[in-house]
Amino acid sequence: MNKLATYTLVLAFCVGAYYAAVAAEKTTEPAKEEAAQAAPAEAAKEPVVCFESRKGASEITQREIQPGWPNVKCSPTTGAALWYGDPFDGTVPMGKMPLLDKIPEGHALVKPRSEKLAILPMCGTACHNGVGPAFSPPKLPKDKKAVPIPTMEGLLPEVKDLQHGRGRIWCLDCHHTTQRNKLVDHYGDPISFDQPQLLCGKCHGDKLRDWRDGIHGKRIGEWASTGKKRWFTCTECHNPHNVQDGARNKGFVQLQPEPPPQLPMGMKDGKHEKLHPIAH
Amino acid sequence: MQLISFASDYTRYVLKGGTKFYAWMGSLAVLIVGMMYVFYLQNTDGLIVTGMTSQIHDGLYFANLVFLVGVAAGAVTIVFPAYVYHHEGMHKVTVLGEMLAITAVIMVMMFVFAHMGRPDRLWHMIPIIGIYSFSSMLGWDVMVLTGYLILNFIVGFYYLWVKYTGGKINKAFFMPLVYISIVWALSIHTVTAFLISTMPARPMWFHSMMPIRFITTAFAAGPALIILAFLIVRKNTTMWIEDSAIKLLATIVTWCLGIAIFLTMSEVVVELYARTEHANGLYYLMFGLHGLTSLVPWFWSAVVLMVVSFVLFLIPAIRNNMKLLPIPCVMAFAGIWIEKGMGLIVPGFIPSPIGEVSEYYPTFVEWLMTLGIWAFGFFILTILLKGAIGILQGEIKFGGQAVAAK
Amino acid sequence: MAVNDKSPAVQGKAEVPENSAPPASADPSKAVLKTSRRDFLRGGGMLSLSSLMGTAALMSHSSDARAAIEWAEHFQKNYRLMTPEEKNEARIRLEKRYSAEYGKTVTVDTTEAQPGVLMGYALNVRKCIGCRRCVKACVAENNQTRGTRPGERIEWIQVLRMERGEFSKEKMDHGYPEGLGIQVGGNAYTPAGQVLEGQYHYEPEAVPEKDATYMPIACMQCEKPPCVKVCPVRTTYREADGPVVIDYNWCIGCRMCMGACPYWARRINVANPVLPKEEMNPVTHYLGNRPRMRGVVEKCHWCLQRTRQGRYPACVEVCPVGARKFGNLLDPESEVSLILARKNVFRLKAELNTFPKFFYFYD
Repeated sequence: MNKLATYTLVLAFCVGAYYAAVAAEKTTEPAKEEAAQAAPAEAAKEPVVCFESRKGASEITQREIQPGWPNVKCSPTTGAALWYGDPFDGTVPMGKMPLLDKIPEGHALVKPRSEKLAILPMCGTACHNGVGPAFSPPKLPKDKKAVPIPTMEGLLPEVKDLQHGRGRIWCLDCHHTTQRNKLVDHYGDPISFDQPQLLCGKCHGDKLRDWRDGIHGKRIGEWASTGKKRWFTCTECHNPHNVQDGARNKGFVQLQPEPPPQLPMGMKDGKHEKLHPIAH
Repeated sequence: MQLISFASDYTRYVLKGGTKFYAWMGSLAVLIVGMMYVFYLQNTDGLIVTGMTSQIHDGLYFANLVFLVGVAAGAVTIVFPAYVYHHEGMHKVTVLGEMLAITAVIMVMMFVFAHMGRPDRLWHMIPIIGIYSFSSMLGWDVMVLTGYLILNFIVGFYYLWVKYTGGKINKAFFMPLVYISIVWALSIHTVTAFLISTMPARPMWFHSMMPIRFITTAFAAGPALIILAFLIVRKNTTMWIEDSAIKLLATIVTWCLGIAIFLTMSEVVVELYARTEHANGLYYLMFGLHGLTSLVPWFWSAVVLMVVSFVLFLIPAIRNNMKLLPIPCVMAFAGIWIEKGMGLIVPGFIPSPIGEVSEYYPTFVEWLMTLGIWAFGFFILTILLKGAIGILQGEIKFGGQAVAAK
Repeated sequence: MAVNDKSPAVQGKAEVPENSAPPASADPSKAVLKTSRRDFLRGGGMLSLSSLMGTAALMSHSSDARAAIEWAEHFQKNYRLMTPEEKNEARIRLEKRYSAEYGKTVTVDTTEAQPGVLMGYALNVRKCIGCRRCVKACVAENNQTRGTRPGERIEWIQVLRMERGEFSKEKMDHGYPEGLGIQVGGNAYTPAGQVLEGQYHYEPEAVPEKDATYMPIACMQCEKPPCVKVCPVRTTYREADGPVVIDYNWCIGCRMCMGACPYWARRINVANPVLPKEEMNPVTHYLGNRPRMRGVVEKCHWCLQRTRQGRYPACVEVCPVGARKFGNLLDPESEVSLILARKNVFRLKAELNTFPKFFYFYD
């Protein structure tokens, strides 16, 4: 019993610390330090929260749907979501998308990112509201180089050196000029943050096609081609702002792996695996 | 009536003996008790008490099983010369070979029990109450082994029975069984070879040389053990086994051992010349893989034992000297036990089919179990040989008083 | 709950077995007593005969429900040969035993293969980052043993790490054998593209590593499964909708199937499985993730308890990069069919003619 309690405590602590760190990412630098200091105190009370596809994109808070049946099981080592008790927890219908007519109404679901991106509506009201001298007439830099604004860089450090498109695209190629809680399509019309595929597909058409057919990306729920599924949208797995970060190997940011398998009886470590079978 | 007196005379005869006999049987019994204890452990705690893992899931038990099928088949080296070539010296002792075959098959079955994860469910293999699968080599192996046990039991004990009652052998009944048992002996070892050589998942075993290698090693190890048994019988009982029989066996051992070495050499050349990924198992056995080398000393000691014993067998002064003959016999037996047991079975699993390399360390439980089953085998063999010799020597006879062995 | 009440897993769970017994031993002292008695029984179970005597003795002394259940289980037929009534009886028996053992309502599904379904799987090797989340998800779903002693922890998925290797100018002249002319180039043994070199215990800070690629391997659910062929009691067989399954109650633990499998997909329960009550997944299938016993072989079955109810396998659902795809090979619109139609696919060890329904692909 003691063991179990200790274990739970450690787990809660880790998850709490992680949660605090994530929260800190959304705030400014000084707030980060505060959060980090506050973390240990809060740890015990924090519920188990695990991240889904990539760290920082979406999280689930563990709770019981039925007695003994959690909505999600989280990895004690990495804090990743490992098992879904309910794949449709907290989802909403995806909304219209071309060539998805075969899927019955309400069978394509997404998890809204609005909660996560709660700060966005403020952007539109506070600064990027379409009024003021900069907007009449709109004066946008022709060279697509954003004017460095310390506030923006503080909010999103990764945009400082935006590598997406290797300098050929900039903020407003994706974000709506006046509605900052929206993305933008080719016609200048807004796209919801819950449907980033409509935006990303503008350039990555092959990926969009594969995603629409279920070949690219992730879907959970029912496997039948017309089944009810939660679709993971582009930004749930890819961070468009740091697609080129140095440590990545594939189109996905690095993360901590789950622990290795148990060593078979008699084996002390896995070091021999690194030695090559033929001496040379 | 005759049957009851046969049973009682036989039992009374084999249970009587001198101090040496009781000491021998007593020490075997101690090992047997030990075996029963570890068998209990295995079937309460599970196979975790052994060194077997999901990676290397056949170990000492399977190795001994394979080896002992060979010993059982090796008995045919007595039966064949006796009935096909009418070898006089052999003819007198055929029944001893059959007793050895019975013992070896019983030991094989005990190793099967030891090997199984669920021996309590073995009845699932029995036709009608369970399911018998014709596609499974293990199914076939169990069938041919059971058949071989029954055949040898009938042939051996019918012969003893006739000797006991003083009647005449019914050749129309007896001879066909003898010939069947000769072919059957080859079948048991062939099927055992197929058991492991029909799995492309294990490239080390996946070659058509396996049956012939099994049979040559069997016909070296089996007669080597028989020679030892005969020499012991000659020394300790009233029964005299002719030199000609032993010499013929020694010749068989020599040439089968020679062919076995040749086949091993061929395999080494074929595998290591190209040195494909499929040779990893053999490479592990000979030199180690990924720095893991626990089987290397086993392999090379087997090589030394086999080659040296072969050379010794080739020297007439040793082959024909009944005092020195046991030395190469023991060496050949031990060498083949290693080469065909641990040296063949374990590297088949290293690396695993998906390239994971791990090693096998048999535990004390496994050694005790193995030792116990061997002890049990010697226990039965002693009884069977004693009874058979008693009858052959006329010490047990229908109507006559059973005379205790010396 | 409004959104999720059509969730198959939740649906499955909602089905409470009619004859389910209440959790037998809330009192821990009683539970201990029971375990020791069962152990005694198991010890006696070494041979059918002694087990028979042991159980008979036990039953005459007490009305222990578990003993009766185990007794009946011991003599039940091979699952495939059972009549629907017998299957139902077996189901109820197991539900009773598991519910008592794990202190919660455990369901044992017996849903048969659906006509028109042939399950298939595809994995994008280019995507895999080697995070092993599939491995752990599989364990969370499938009730594998998770003890601490070596052999007590079973995982059905292995993730292979392959080095990218490097070719160097320095090694060019260092062939083997030296001095006899270069027979083998000095760069010969660089492991680039070497598939089965065998690095499974990798433990870096973060994946994917720059110098490595990854390939998960589990049961391929072969159309011509060598494991089925070698089973002496036909306890492992191919189901009509594709997966190769095991009747754990009929398995004799001979491990021939493990030797015959070219993908090392099978594991043996070397000990009595260690499965904590709170971690046990109560939604099970008879041929799927129901708790196993000591001495039997187990393997991936594509989460039969989920897939027969329409739900994706657990590994598909947790793959963070969406490398894992599952669907009906007979449905031209399914993910797997579209991958076969559009992508470059390969089967692992295709030369062995096992015809896996698990395809690797890349884009």
